Amino acid sequence: MTTRRLFLAATALASACAFATPSLAQSGKVTVVTSFSKDVTDPIKQAFEKANPGLTLEVQNRNTNAGVKFVEETRSNPQSDLFWASAPDAFEVLKGKKLLQQYAPKAKGIPEKIGSYPINDKEGYYFGFAASGYGIMWNERYLKANRIPEPKEWSDLAKPVYHNHVSIASPARSGTTHLTIETILQGEGWDKGWGAIKAMAGNFNQIAERSFGVPDAVNSGQVGVGIVIDFFAFSAQGAGFPVKFVYPSVTTVVPANVGIIAGAPNKAGAEAFIEYLLSPAGQDILLSPTIRRLPVNPEAYAKAPAGFPNPFKDKAFQGMITFDVDKSESRTGVVDTLFDQLISFQLDDLKAVTKLMQDVEQGLAKKDNAQARVLLAEARQAVAAMPVTEAQASNDADIKGAFRGGKEGKTRQAEFERKWAAFAKENYAKAKAKAEQALALVR
Amino acid sequence: MTHSELGQSIRAAAAGIAVTGVNLSYGATHVLKDVNLTIAPGEFFAFLGPSGCGKTTLLRLIAGFNIAQTGRVEVGGTDISALPPWKRDVGMVFQSYALWPHMSVARNVAFGLEERKLPRDEIAARVDQALDLVNLKHLKDRRPSQLSGGQQQRVALARTIAIRPKVLLLDEPLSNLDARMRVQVRRELRELQQELGITTIFVTHDQEEANTICDRIAVMNDGRVQQVGTPMGVYDAPDNLFVAGFLGTANILDGHAAQGAFRIAGGGELPLRAGQPVPDAARMVFRPQDARIERPGAQAPAGYVALPGRLRHAEFLGSQLRYALAIGENEVLVDVPHHSGAARFGAGEDVVLVLDNSRTLLLAA
Amino acid sequence: MQAALPLPAARTAVATPGQWLTVGAIAAFLTLFLIVPVAMVIIVAFQDPATGAFTLVNFADFARSPLFLRSFGNSLYVSLMAVVWATVFALPLAYFTTRFEFRGSAIIQTLGVIPLIMPPFAGAVAMQLLFGQNGSINLLLDDWFGFRLPLMDGLNGVIFVQSVHYFPFILINVTASLRNIDRSMEEAAQNLGSSGFRLFRRIVFPLAMPGFVAGASLVFIKVFDDLATPLLLNVKDMLAPQAYLRISSIGLKDPMGYVISVVLMVFSILSLFIANFSTRGRDYATTQRGGGGLTKRPISGLDRILAYAIITLILLLVLAPHVGLFLLSIATVWSYAPLPDGYTLAHYARVVTESGQYIWNTLLYSSLTGAAGAVIGAAIAYIVLRTRIPGRHWLDYAASAALAVPGVVLGIGYLRAYFGVQLPNGQSLTSLWIIIVIALAVRRLPYALRACMAAMQQISVSLEEAAENLGATKASTIRRIVAPLMTGGLLAGFITSFATAAVELSATMMLVQNNADAPLAYGLYVFMQSPAGRGAGAALGVIAVLIVGICTYLSQSLAERDRRLKAGS
Repeated sequence: MTTRRLFLAATALASACAFATPSLAQSGKVTVVTSFSKDVTDPIKQAFEKANPGLTLEVQNRNTNAGVKFVEETRSNPQSDLFWASAPDAFEVLKGKKLLQQYAPKAKGIPEKIGSYPINDKEGYYFGFAASGYGIMWNERYLKANRIPEPKEWSDLAKPVYHNHVSIASPARSGTTHLTIETILQGEGWDKGWGAIKAMAGNFNQIAERSFGVPDAVNSGQVGVGIVIDFFAFSAQGAGFPVKFVYPSVTTVVPANVGIIAGAPNKAGAEAFIEYLLSPAGQDILLSPTIRRLPVNPEAYAKAPAGFPNPFKDKAFQGMITFDVDKSESRTGVVDTLFDQLISFQLDDLKAVTKLMQDVEQGLAKKDNAQARVLLAEARQAVAAMPVTEAQASNDADIKGAFRGGKEGKTRQAEFERKWAAFAKENYAKAKAKAEQALALVR
Repeated sequence: MTHSELGQSIRAAAAGIAVTGVNLSYGATHVLKDVNLTIAPGEFFAFLGPSGCGKTTLLRLIAGFNIAQTGRVEVGGTDISALPPWKRDVGMVFQSYALWPHMSVARNVAFGLEERKLPRDEIAARVDQALDLVNLKHLKDRRPSQLSGGQQQRVALARTIAIRPKVLLLDEPLSNLDARMRVQVRRELRELQQELGITTIFVTHDQEEANTICDRIAVMNDGRVQQVGTPMGVYDAPDNLFVAGFLGTANILDGHAAQGAFRIAGGGELPLRAGQPVPDAARMVFRPQDARIERPGAQAPAGYVALPGRLRHAEFLGSQLRYALAIGENEVLVDVPHHSGAARFGAGEDVVLVLDNSRTLLLAA
Repeated sequence: MQAALPLPAARTAVATPGQWLTVGAIAAFLTLFLIVPVAMVIIVAFQDPATGAFTLVNFADFARSPLFLRSFGNSLYVSLMAVVWATVFALPLAYFTTRFEFRGSAIIQTLGVIPLIMPPFAGAVAMQLLFGQNGSINLLLDDWFGFRLPLMDGLNGVIFVQSVHYFPFILINVTASLRNIDRSMEEAAQNLGSSGFRLFRRIVFPLAMPGFVAGASLVFIKVFDDLATPLLLNVKDMLAPQAYLRISSIGLKDPMGYVISVVLMVFSILSLFIANFSTRGRDYATTQRGGGGLTKRPISGLDRILAYAIITLILLLVLAPHVGLFLLSIATVWSYAPLPDGYTLAHYARVVTESGQYIWNTLLYSSLTGAAGAVIGAAIAYIVLRTRIPGRHWLDYAASAALAVPGVVLGIGYLRAYFGVQLPNGQSLTSLWIIIVIALAVRRLPYALRACMAAMQQISVSLEEAAENLGATKASTIRRIVAPLMTGGLLAGFITSFATAAVELSATMMLVQNNADAPLAYGLYVFMQSPAGRGAGAALGVIAVLIVGICTYLSQSLAERDRRLKAGS
């Protein structure tokens, strides 16, 4: 048949062309899978290739999830040498699946911790080469037009004036956001931490499904305020956007990591790249305005421009709590799912009840009413209530089984999700009823 | 109700059609050239001509699908030139029938009535009536694709008749039917037309179709109406060589007319009748049945002309024999009635053509 | 009168060896590049999360979850409403351009296809900048009148964006259908007193039904299965986003994402089944004389002005995202303002120096994808509609199910199924760029297939029988009769798959293993990851739109010429 013959011919032709492309073989090419943008990778690629003649860096941009899946699916015959991204949990996953290999960097002068976060994986599967701080970014025009004050602290974001103006990325999709949430939970404690997160979340305009979605929305003025990593804000400023950024008095430090993929075709090249990143020259590049990451070598800060934050010295970073990596790792799935089920997928309800409670509060300021106060407190309590305790989140065998694929659990993740969503819905409804009662009293 | 009663009940007041000074061009192609026609109320009229002569274009012009650059079309005395097709009340049956495949037979027939927003029960009644008239009531729930060609054609006819149009236009209605069906259907068409008394235009390239069922015909060629008249009138007295040649068989003799005679190219002459107008370049025309063949030496009676010739071949057509003769440089056909046992001439024989001179026509070349 | 009632002759049941071979080839292709890879991924949906044993309990979980049920309802509602609005946008454009002698028909048709080409991320940013809560329109409205329109909020926002984005599916298919209607069909109705909208509603539109159903089912399924738009609008309680969010979360072992994928696929096949059923048993073949289509009529005076006004209005609305995209590509900074602060060509300069390879790759991949789609689509349409091979409908269903397969699932499936297959030089099969093309072809095949099915439905079998009667074999009948008559449908199929393949990212992202093989959408993604790359990303998006636009225009002109040739005088 003609049609079929045509198609076969096309296929044959196409595969002939494909065969003709030069093979990926060990040509001194170092292949790196990364979620970093061109702004970061291009200058580093240039400097690295200059410092290591004969080696070329092949950069494959993938978002973190796709990158992890790619490495996982290509394990039988790895084609890439390095995984290079921010999110530590992605590296944890890779490590857990034995997709990384150990290495001991030779570079000197890099301390064990930045802020209170350990720079390197303690078993040597991946290494921090830079860090970033979390903070609050806002669009100046937006705030001015809506007469909103500039935020300074996390707690500011729970104030009524920010209602519907704040954005965050979902921790389930953004490893760095996940760290931020985890930091708050570890710093404030489980129940109080969730209370603070939900109070803030009640003001969310949107929950983006990828990290860059938040700075993107702030840059274009779709939302006023975003919870972001510092370099997003600084590179936006560099590109001319009318945005500002502040580190709250307590901030978190998020490392950016690199690790060698198990069975890397060019292991020597991969090692050379890591050594370059950690070398003084590699650390200095991080200071350049388009990259703007915080070096992990304290000496690099000597060359930093004025006003460049120094996590090894600045107070904001010293106030950070000690971060318990093991604890974080033990409940990653639970925390993310709780965030989604209690906040992301119930955002309309949560916002509505938050607005009501804020109205009650404003009413109380004008006309005090004891009964309304009690009702408001009850409403707050209902909103803050958690279906899972801290101990359960980490240690409950059933939950562990559901979220970590163990065999001990008898309940499936879907069942937990349903239970938690129902719990949130019920409590938000309860809180709403109480807040409405209270509002009637203070009107 | 009998068939003709049905027809009577549908019968509407017949309207005449007048086409005046129509010219139509597609870009540089001049398709209709100064067309003028008058069709009487209730007349069965044919546009006859070879393909490409403009007959379908003229029909579509009357239906409103083509727009003329000049001229007008009147139906029942009203100028409809400016009306869009849907306001003309001019029923047309398409060559392809154009039955809508997504509708049943009944829905097809009801369509025009629904467009006229008639009451539901009246629509139902008229659909039945129209389908009855074409004997297809039992197939009303079929889809067009489930019908034979002849049935489809009758549905198309019923669909058009149902709206009781002022005039009926038939675009080569028999062309998609087999020969046997054609004879049958054309007779039925004629009967139906008579029952309905509706002014009908029938487009065809087949003179037999036109001759058998039409009251009058307009012979068309090259965008012009060549001649209008009854089938017999046009046949007997064609206005020009095209009409003479297109309608039936005609012998056309080359030569030139001078001094009271037509000199046939290659020898022989025919005397001209007194007072006959003589064009500059002329041909002599006669029908094969207006001559006979005699043995050499035969004398022509008064009013007849004898021309010597040689027989080329003979064709047996059943009721008659058709002989082909060489007369000078011309080939001439002669039809001779055949009777059992009648004498025959053989190919190559020298013969004499005896021609009734009163039946010859001198036409401009 | 004659009473014999021969029913239409049944086609002979025997399939030729060539037809069997085609069926085999297509079935093998779909099995290898769709069914096997997808099955290898979604098998998780049928496994007990703890033991790995076969189970349907995950589907029970799906049915018991209020969130999923709500998502399901929302997806259904949004998809139906998007079809309604897409129809509102598409029908006037399709009708006016095919029905009237209209200056610039080919341009209007081309502009009408452009909305399909919404580059990922860049298109989203442009939409927000124009229609968002703080987009140009709302900033101006707020400034002038003190109110805002929630154009991009919630489900209504999704309906708005989706109908603008996908209405070309209806436009393209209905246009192809209209061009296949024999003009006597319309004239007969006019002759019987019908005109204007009634004529359209009762005759023209029903006859174009195969095209409409093809387009509408595509819109429905596409909206039902699309995850990007809801996510960009931060609508999460719809099915496709739910699947995506779960599949793409790092390290989660949860099978629900795959369960939802299965539900999406089943539902997509189901809606095709319904679409199929609605046009079954009806004969739409009006092409008795080999096409020609409706006669184009002159339009003048008030009607002309009105028609142009309607067309302009629709085009303005549906092209607004691209206007936004263009502005973004020449903007210095555009933030919380109706228009950018300043203009520059620097983004284009940057793109041209950095992304030449991407553009070339995209052209190559999209053309191959479009061609493969048209060829395979036509072959399947032929098998389904013209042969009696048992189970032939499953080719259609299987190919169409690709619509519902999230790109990321297909990408992972390819890696899982074929990464281990090594070529003689030790390279993995999946590292060949042709794999990207195959993935694109599989993902875009449903578009081409719908167009081909509609075109085939409108060709009268008798035209083929005539050819066979004159001694043509099946193969040469296809080549010499069917293919030329299907030109419009084939082109429609080519254009839709070509255009959408040019901006496809999700499967590509998994499969690109070499920067030199990356298509434009990938380059765009890379740019759009940084604030400084926004303009450059938009510029690359504009280039993508231009490339596809020009190709589409050329195809439209070809189609128009072909139509004129067939229509004769």
